[in-house]
Amino acid sequence: MISSDPRPPAVTGHRVTFVRVLAAEWTKLSGLRWMPWLMTVTVVAATVLALVLSLFARVGTPALELTTSGHLAAQLGLLALGALIGSGEFSTGTCRSTFTAVPRRLPVLMAQMLLTAGIAAVTATLALVGAHLATADHQGFPALGTEPSQTLRISVGFVLQLTLVALLGLGTGALVRSPAAALTTLVVLFVVLEQFLVANPGPVADTVRALTPGSGTRLFADQTGLDDLAAGAGPELGAWGGGAVLAGWTSLVLLAAAYRLRRHDVT
Amino acid sequence: MRSTWVAALATVAVAGGLTYLDASASSSDPGFDPVRSLGFAVPFATVGLLVLGVLVGTSEFSTGNFRSTFVAVPRRLSVLAGQVLAMTVFAALVAVLAVGSSVLAILPSAASRGITPDLGGDGVLRNLIGSVVLLSGTGLVGAALGAWVRRPVAALVAAVGICLVLPMVLVLAADLVTDPLAASAAGGSSAPESPLETFARFTPTGAADSLLWREGGALQGVLVLAGWVVLPLTAAAIRLSRRDLV
Repeated sequence: MISSDPRPPAVTGHRVTFVRVLAAEWTKLSGLRWMPWLMTVTVVAATVLALVLSLFARVGTPALELTTSGHLAAQLGLLALGALIGSGEFSTGTCRSTFTAVPRRLPVLMAQMLLTAGIAAVTATLALVGAHLATADHQGFPALGTEPSQTLRISVGFVLQLTLVALLGLGTGALVRSPAAALTTLVVLFVVLEQFLVANPGPVADTVRALTPGSGTRLFADQTGLDDLAAGAGPELGAWGGGAVLAGWTSLVLLAAAYRLRRHDVT
Repeated sequence: MRSTWVAALATVAVAGGLTYLDASASSSDPGFDPVRSLGFAVPFATVGLLVLGVLVGTSEFSTGNFRSTFVAVPRRLSVLAGQVLAMTVFAALVAVLAVGSSVLAILPSAASRGITPDLGGDGVLRNLIGSVVLLSGTGLVGAALGAWVRRPVAALVAAVGICLVLPMVLVLAADLVTDPLAASAAGGSSAPESPLETFARFTPTGAADSLLWREGGALQGVLVLAGWVVLPLTAAAIRLSRRDLV
């Protein structure tokens, strides 16, 4: 009996479901050679940065400030991570087979979002733990955990901010479709603009600063930092307000990317 | 390459546009001096040239052109030399255009107050020439890093890390090191140079600072900047002549 059933068995067994798309995206991402490298370099850079700064810092600097100082390095790494994942589909040409296999297209972006969020959260947590271990018992600084609620908010905020940053990177990468262009845009938005606005304080600059994605750093700013920002001329957002601004940017860019993916050509 | 021209145009436009905005924003101040707005857009233009340099430096490898290029020129290093020369000319051109557009951008607000901007006097000329040198140098730093690393994103991350994030780290470090009370007690300028400041001198941002502002620091700025070009370029040359292309 060779074939009594005219239907090819492959069709019944392999419908496109979200779980399968997710599994396929995971296979793709975990096979990328640069991924473990980028994660390692990000964690190591954040840890070393915090360690070096703790060697310089005068006695009495709050340990939390040192721990989160690794953020400057971690943010760049996660921006690159997001931009690479978001644009990788298009810069390598994989998009042709991917979107032939998943003609509805949006599940692919959703799966990439979930995976990027997971990878970013793991990287950010490792960076935070690394920076904490590298600085905690140094020169008798007040240990992490002097004020539990504050410490928890800062730790969660640190991971949350970096996760949102990676997702914004993913959205920009998927929208622009070229890794270099996406990364340049993100660096201008996160680093250049922020530095520029800090250097020229004023009512306009402070308001703009509160509304740029860099506002998300308030999620892990300590109380002194938040008070300083509140004393400025910009609107008072508080820690979670800053996070909401960043989340707003992230969702806006992801929506734009989804729109382009759904409505426009893939290549 | 299209992206090169986009980056070059964006750089020139940003330099002119931001300087214009700054000049017209401050033109209502009583002590308005249009010349002071000239340096305003330089940090932004620096980013443009950095990206431009990285794109040019990696282009051979990101497009796959290198296969035919190095079959045609098996000695390889002459290709790198040619690229550096071409990039120097191109970066200098973009730098001159960017600085020129910021000079043009201050004219409307200067005219509105009836001031003739004095470009020749009191360090202004040095600042203009310094800006051109700084911008071209930054383009070359980007190109050298790109030729060494060969991947646009990796090279961009390295370039941004060195030129943009490192200065932020140094500011943070200075913040952590200095006790605000001790600094005000010492009276500021009389304090000896800290190791941190010495280190900062040798970063690209420190070079920019010496080149543009510090009294008698022009030569040092040029040398530090040249170092940041020569080191990655040497690494790129070694990689190109000794190692695989792919």
